[in-house]
Amino acid sequence: MDLLGTDVLSTLTMAQGAFPEAMPGGTLAHYLFISAGMFCLGLIGFMTRRNLIIMFLCTELMFQAAGLALIAFGRYHMNFDGQTFVIFVLTIAAAEAAMGLALVVLLFRKRESLSGEDWSELKG
Amino acid sequence: MLGPPRVSDGTKPSCVAGKAGASEGALEAIINPLLLYGGCALGAVGVAFALPKRGASLAVIGGIIAAAAAGLVVMGLTFAALPSEGLGEGGLLEGNFGALPNIYFHVFGVLALASGLRMITHPRPVYAALYFILTIVASSGLYVLLSAEFMAFALIIIYAGAILITYLFVIMLATQAPSEEEPDRLSEYDAVAREPVAAAAVGFVLLAVITTLMFSGLPTLERSRSEASPEPALELFHGKWEPDLTESLRAAELIDITETIAIDSGLAELDLSAAPVTVLVTSPVGDSRRVEIPMELIPEGFVATNVERVGMNLLAEHPMTIEIAGVILLMAMLGATVLARKQVDIEEAEKERQARRLGLLEEGA
Repeated sequence: MDLLGTDVLSTLTMAQGAFPEAMPGGTLAHYLFISAGMFCLGLIGFMTRRNLIIMFLCTELMFQAAGLALIAFGRYHMNFDGQTFVIFVLTIAAAEAAMGLALVVLLFRKRESLSGEDWSELKG
Repeated sequence: MLGPPRVSDGTKPSCVAGKAGASEGALEAIINPLLLYGGCALGAVGVAFALPKRGASLAVIGGIIAAAAAGLVVMGLTFAALPSEGLGEGGLLEGNFGALPNIYFHVFGVLALASGLRMITHPRPVYAALYFILTIVASSGLYVLLSAEFMAFALIIIYAGAILITYLFVIMLATQAPSEEEPDRLSEYDAVAREPVAAAAVGFVLLAVITTLMFSGLPTLERSRSEASPEPALELFHGKWEPDLTESLRAAELIDITETIAIDSGLAELDLSAAPVTVLVTSPVGDSRRVEIPMELIPEGFVATNVERVGMNLLAEHPMTIEIAGVILLMAMLGATVLARKQVDIEEAEKERQARRLGLLEEGA
């Protein structure tokens, strides 16, 4: 590793190149702990909050947690599939936000309320 | 109290014999189980306090308790990561090399968790969305620490720039106007959380289980170095560095003027894993030999950047998935347009009046 200069070495590290480096800033477990914590916060928020918009925001928090875990695992395995899949996670999150918010606007027009419990008689 | 989970070696054939001891007491090696479960319990209490409810607001106390819980677990992780005898060899800590997590990890991680907590506990939706933007910024900081620069910026642009702005618009569109006498009044469904204690308990039991599984299962997970394949991407981008390298090698008289770097159907023969870095050169008569590249001659752009690697991975290995993602986005756009369309009924007389005004109908028709 010393055979390459610091410039090239830093480029290598940035590009996750040929020489696997330690994950900067801790082990995989640290990142997975942050990710699990974010996921559980999102889950608690989804269960407790009664505002439809905040419930959707909490699902976005869970998406975030999944993305962080994907990137951390991709770094751990030294390949780029994790980062690629975060792009798809972002795509799904964008699609979900568009559809979900359109539904929220529709429901708000019908009842003038954002409470999720107003719609509890919807059985499917 | 729950004991440390046993990792059965029989189901993990990849477990190296030398690591058997590490996987037995895996959880203790990473973090003390008492600390982990204590932190989870404390966090559940804190979140249950912090969730909005009628009457005296306990959000500050809850926040402090939850912060203490997070601090407890992070402290446990940090002390476990301190280099000491026997830890440097074992399992998960192999990805650690005895390095203490740096300060940026702690700042971004705590910021992400704290703003996430404030997001789910803030009674006002606009503030919740703004705290979520803070979470996004913090996790993109974590992405930079994981050397995923492109995704970090894409995350800020797409999430904070596009999705969250949509949320803010909808929050402003779909909120009742405050009444004159009580402008700060919260609606009932914002002010009172549903089942805060049960939800916090369930959520943190889930967190405890997930972290137990993660911390006990990971030491047997081997870092698969075989999957690290930098050369193909390097070769695919040979156009970036090959002319420069040929020129500088010729200038340094390491290769003849007639010799060229071997590029066979677009692939450069380049061996990055060998040290020093060598390159295969061929002469017009067909001889080939390996030439060492001196340090100072390694050209710029020799190593593919993060964006190039992600793009190559995206387009070369997941082309069908991109198509499907495009179709999903198109469907979402159509669906959102159809769902949120407002049907306006215009009466016939009104239509006729407007048409007359625009001159579409003849006068007196």
